[in-house]
Amino acid sequence: MTLAETISSALGLEGAVGQFVGGFIGAAIVGTFILANAAVAGPWAKRKITAAFTDRISVDKLGPLGIGIIIPDAVRLISKELIVPEGVDRPAWDIAPLIIASSAILGFAVIPMGSIGSVDLQLADPEVGLAFVFAVASIASVGLVMAGYASNNKYSFLGGLRAVAQNLAYEIPLILTGISVVIFAGTLQLSEIVATQQQSLVELGPVAIPAWFAIVNPFAFILFLAANMAEVGRNPFDIPEAPTEIVAGFQTEYSSVYFVLIYLGEFVHIFLGGAIIATIFLGGPSGPGPASIGLLWFLVKIWGVFLLTQWARSALPRVRIDQLIEIGWKGMLVLAFANLFVTAVIVGVLAPL
Amino acid sequence: MSLEPPEPELDVGETPDGELDYDELADLLGEHVLDREEHVNAKGFVIRPDSVETVLATLREEAGFDHLSCLTAQQYPDRYESIYHLKKYDDPTQELSVVVPTASEEPVSGSAAGVFDTAIWHEREAYDLVGIEYEDNPDLRRILLPETWQGHPLSNDYNQDQPQIVPLREHANPMEKRTQVPDRSDTMFINIGPHHPATHGVLHLETVLDGEQVVDVDPDIGYLHRCEEQMCEQGTYRHQIMPYPDRWDYISAGMLNEWSYARAAEDLADIDVPEYAQVIRTMAAEMSRIAAHMLAIGTFALDIYGDFTAIFMYSITDREKLQNLLEDLSGQRLMFNYFRLGGVAWDLPEPREQYFQKVRDFCEYMPGRLEEYHNLLTSNELFQMRVLDTGILPPEEAKSYGCTGPVARGSGIDYDLRRGDPYGYYDELEWDVITDDGCDNFARALVRLKEMEQSARIIEQCVDVLEDWPEDEREIQSNVPRTLKPDHDKEIYRAVEGAKGELGIYIRSDGTDRPGRFKIRSPAFCNLQSLEVMAEGEYIPDMVAALGSLDIVLGEVDR
Amino acid sequence: MIGILKGMATTMKHALDGETFTVSYPEEEPDVSPRFRGVHKFSQERCIWCRQCENVCPNDTIQIVMDDQRNGEQYNLHIGQCIYCRLCEEVCPVDAILLTENFEFVGDTKDELAYNKEELKNVPWYKDLDPLESREPDREAWVGEGDGEVDYQ
Ligand code: SF4
Ligand code: SF4
Repeated sequence: MTLAETISSALGLEGAVGQFVGGFIGAAIVGTFILANAAVAGPWAKRKITAAFTDRISVDKLGPLGIGIIIPDAVRLISKELIVPEGVDRPAWDIAPLIIASSAILGFAVIPMGSIGSVDLQLADPEVGLAFVFAVASIASVGLVMAGYASNNKYSFLGGLRAVAQNLAYEIPLILTGISVVIFAGTLQLSEIVATQQQSLVELGPVAIPAWFAIVNPFAFILFLAANMAEVGRNPFDIPEAPTEIVAGFQTEYSSVYFVLIYLGEFVHIFLGGAIIATIFLGGPSGPGPASIGLLWFLVKIWGVFLLTQWARSALPRVRIDQLIEIGWKGMLVLAFANLFVTAVIVGVLAPL
Repeated sequence: MSLEPPEPELDVGETPDGELDYDELADLLGEHVLDREEHVNAKGFVIRPDSVETVLATLREEAGFDHLSCLTAQQYPDRYESIYHLKKYDDPTQELSVVVPTASEEPVSGSAAGVFDTAIWHEREAYDLVGIEYEDNPDLRRILLPETWQGHPLSNDYNQDQPQIVPLREHANPMEKRTQVPDRSDTMFINIGPHHPATHGVLHLETVLDGEQVVDVDPDIGYLHRCEEQMCEQGTYRHQIMPYPDRWDYISAGMLNEWSYARAAEDLADIDVPEYAQVIRTMAAEMSRIAAHMLAIGTFALDIYGDFTAIFMYSITDREKLQNLLEDLSGQRLMFNYFRLGGVAWDLPEPREQYFQKVRDFCEYMPGRLEEYHNLLTSNELFQMRVLDTGILPPEEAKSYGCTGPVARGSGIDYDLRRGDPYGYYDELEWDVITDDGCDNFARALVRLKEMEQSARIIEQCVDVLEDWPEDEREIQSNVPRTLKPDHDKEIYRAVEGAKGELGIYIRSDGTDRPGRFKIRSPAFCNLQSLEVMAEGEYIPDMVAALGSLDIVLGEVDR
Repeated sequence: MIGILKGMATTMKHALDGETFTVSYPEEEPDVSPRFRGVHKFSQERCIWCRQCENVCPNDTIQIVMDDQRNGEQYNLHIGQCIYCRLCEEVCPVDAILLTENFEFVGDTKDELAYNKEELKNVPWYKDLDPLESREPDREAWVGEGDGEVDYQ
């Protein structure tokens, strides 16, 4: 049973009302959970991680390891003055942060996050799950363009344009690589994709190596990781923001709550990227131990991806816009097609033999 | 790489032992030379305002004076005067001043802009502050002060109490003037700075973009102009000037800046410096240099890696270690005020062994850290992809723009005053001048990294020398009178190798205990001018990288 | 590719070695060297009102007011304007004005940083560091006066 169904049956509701109420409450739970993760990541974890890379202490005054900083930080960010620059194109300027933040959260609707007892921690499990995730995640691009264009600022404008160019160039390889997994699994349904990865690939004595697609096809995994970096706009592909070049890109003119929304949206986006990677390459919530700690494994995986983005930030230069486009169209796309083709040949031609 | 004739061939006016024969030079210029002047550093030829271009062109082409080091303008009661300080990149000890007097009523002079590109900015500054007009200068606008400023602050009749009232509507709107490059309607004008993460201070780049490519860039400086030259003119030689050089290039390069003033003033007033003090100076100056280069590398990384890069923090960490050493020595972390005319303020801190040990430890720790920088920067393929072959500055252009320091050496110009015009204790020590023929952003960063290695070498040798110095000969200051009054009308231009390049000071004494004219030749000012060459036609990120590789400090550019 | 990995390995090495360079101020204070130049301390007993410090100060930070018998009345020093060059200490013949190592001082307004004689006398030593001793060990003998600590109120 999915989360929504569990809730509606627990409330004793049925039919459309049950679906709605269950879905609504379930969505609130999942959304809050993800936002809580982003709240930990933004004001605290990111600081701590960056500090570790740069030999600093960073926040350590409030609570264990300074984790209490989240509360004053939230108050600080929200209580700041919201500055609306002259000549911005409203309401597009107001909607953009909402789109950026919500598009990322939407994706989590179909991500399987493990199960507790008989309850699957998954809001919905449509047959086109993977397509849905990719579709909603890329809505963010619209938000970026809106933010860039509506801000009435040349830096924002450049940032918006860069964001579109970048997302166009990297979404295609990203999805193509995702499709190669679909060919393997033979389904778009995320729970099915996870299930396919549960079989063991080889058994080394007591240790069974699971058939995670990252292990079955490491090439696709790396390709996907790289494209994902560009998709979430982190080094070496953080050029839509590129503070030392175009100030802050599309978010230059945002302050206060709008800034928080964009900032939050970015973090949720990184987590969504992590969730997709975990789901289609790393066996989703699976891992050693009982199934009930699946959620833990899931969290470990998405935080691992988050850590990777921060690590890349500490050591990798950002590429130039023309190089970025070149890598995207001439490098990644070709490799993604090659990967797709080889996968198709293996699955369609060689496997049946 | 040098375009000069090979060694054995001598320039006109050069004697075989590397001295200058001023008579031969005067013959070369013929009737252009009206009179001769004696400056402490060189002889000066007085010429007519309308023959500036011819004279400088002749001197450049035939006598090998390819470096217009500085232009000093000043007003006397009866005339204005521009002094072009010429040098040779091959041998900076061969100097010549070209003195151009202009009438008080109508200070109009010819321009050197046709011969040296660097003259454009220097003449703009002279026009801005002193009020001499240079006729053929292609771009004679104010440079440090706002366009609407009334009067020329360094001219004699300037009334500094007169308020500068300019109605808002008269202030130039930078957007209006050059929103587009003529004939190209699809360009976009953008103000990069004065508050922008990449401008390393308050630099304003008026940039015209075509898509992401830079079509035209015009640095607008002066936001940090603090009248440093005037402040020095109001201080006494003996004490009051020395604190200020620390504030020109305030990025830890204080010791080097102090040395530039110390050297000029000591030569002007004939002050001897004890050898022991020179060794301490050399050591302190090289510590400053490493600290300054560390910051240059760190901020360069910041420009290319984005603001979460670890490299910046690593280089700040290393700089911090040097600042601790310098704090032990001088009592301050940035604004050292450690040099004194005739020596230094303090001997090494007690216990000496402990201090030597600390310095040695640092020198031993350096190579490991430098290797990390090489791992993070120079050997990183993505970094190479970003900076190799971007921001090209060909050597001829670099010379014409008067570039010095790591910028010139990154373009393959072997020019280092520490070796070319030795001072301090440098000529007793073993070290190399680093050059690189890359001419690009990468080369400039690489030169800095390698220079730090050499500086560490110098420091180590200084420590060896200091350790063995007999205890009763540790003289840190020679006997200097409390009030210094150099002879009337003595003029000097002296330069040292600062962190960013040739940092020169021109002083004219007027017989009192304060300088009559104090002019600072800032290396960053000259280097910044070459940004146009590097940036035009490149992408914005490359322009930002070029700016980072120039390593400017606005405190020094604007003074 | 090797270079990229080498770079990433370098930062990871720093992350894992657990060393930090920053300190947790104010619980832990970084060392201040004995020569460090912080806020001034003034001793009226020592001062002979020769006004040398006022003359040498490059930016007129020190203001001395005397009555017509040339007795000192006021000694004002604007520590917010001071550039901490230590020239006043250097020229003072009797070490009446000193720069302590104390850098921890604040003011809400600029006025609060204009210290008068009394405020200057009450500036505390930093961690009991006596600058005279640490800077020039033989200077005190030359001054020929008693123990610095007693003298400076
Ligand atoms: S330290 Fe320098 S600026 Fe400060 S009061 Fe003394 S002389 Fe003046
Ligand atoms: S120099 Fe010393 S003795 Fe003279 S007035 Fe200043 S503090 Fe007093």
